[in-house]
Amino acid sequence: MAANEWWAATKSEDSFYMHGAMGFAASFALGLALSLPQVPVWLINADGSLCMNLGCLLTEASQAASNLKHFVVANGVYQTVGGLPMVNDGRTDYAAIARAAGFPRARTIETLDDLERQLPAIAAEDGPSFTVLRVEPETGFLRTPPMTYEGPEMKYRFGRALERRFGIEVFGPQGY
Amino acid sequence: MDVTARIHEQLTKCGIKIAASLPDDWVAPLIERIAADNQIRHVRVAREAEAIAICSGAFFGGVRSVALMGATGLLTCTGELATLNLRHQIPVFLIVSQRGSIDDHRIYQEVQGRRTLPLLQAYDFPYHIVDRPDEVNSIPDAFETCRMQKRPFVLFLTRRLVKGRARHEGARRDRRSRPPSRRCGRRLRARHGGQ
Repeated sequence: MAANEWWAATKSEDSFYMHGAMGFAASFALGLALSLPQVPVWLINADGSLCMNLGCLLTEASQAASNLKHFVVANGVYQTVGGLPMVNDGRTDYAAIARAAGFPRARTIETLDDLERQLPAIAAEDGPSFTVLRVEPETGFLRTPPMTYEGPEMKYRFGRALERRFGIEVFGPQGY
Repeated sequence: MDVTARIHEQLTKCGIKIAASLPDDWVAPLIERIAADNQIRHVRVAREAEAIAICSGAFFGGVRSVALMGATGLLTCTGELATLNLRHQIPVFLIVSQRGSIDDHRIYQEVQGRRTLPLLQAYDFPYHIVDRPDEVNSIPDAFETCRMQKRPFVLFLTRRLVKGRARHEGARRDRRSRPPSRRCGRRLRARHGGQ
């Protein structure tokens, strides 16, 4: 899912809506999870992004961060550019790839009923876990309005929210 | 003190708690030294841009970090450094071998030697070249500058520093005492495996 759509649905200060570095939200989330081992970190990734950085699965599996959960919204297309199909035309089993990389828990969820049934157990289990959420693509371009802030404001909103919530120091005494 | 020990000591002074790396043979001894330090979480990655994003995530956890790689790896990260770190003003401290220098006689490093610094200048990424063991003490200042400038900062290690005679200042006696078979092994690896 694109960052704009996730922002429109959640508008949370506790989320880093990552527009740049396609594929590397996974590595960003791993760095966050390793630096705050008592804090649950949920990564909402997408299949296009995952395929930009498949090696992240090896790194995540090797680090075995128990507070990290990796979700992949898989629609099989590059939605934000108009729904062009992804490589391998939907034949890829991402959960199997994650298991082969060393994830102890990986599954694919295909329906909303299944998601509702399984989510409490997924939330409660130790990471690293890997969950593919298979969804249908939209037709054409998405029409979600863009976020109302960007770049540096994203950084300070997220960093200050973490400082308040967890009592950590992200920015020094002079604000950088 | 061996130069890798000096660099490690300075990184500890900076408060580094996470190191993400993909080795180049010039920085490999430093990486293995850091990997053996149980006060630093070492993350081996499959691609250098992972190290950039891991360090960026660690920044928001309030943890100081370093990314270690070769110059070729740095070139592969330029998209992520621009769209994640420049765009959001996220500092990330990199230690990189300065490959392609005039004393680096590897044809496959030659372009890196010619184009890496101009590329960093085009991005307006600050950098600092450490060429002598006594300059290693500049690492805490470099780290602070990285934080203040809120962008990627590259600390380059030269061949003279990490491969030349200066790297074993104070440690030559140890090297002479190693068994001959080990010295032969080192020469073989340098001839066939070094990049």
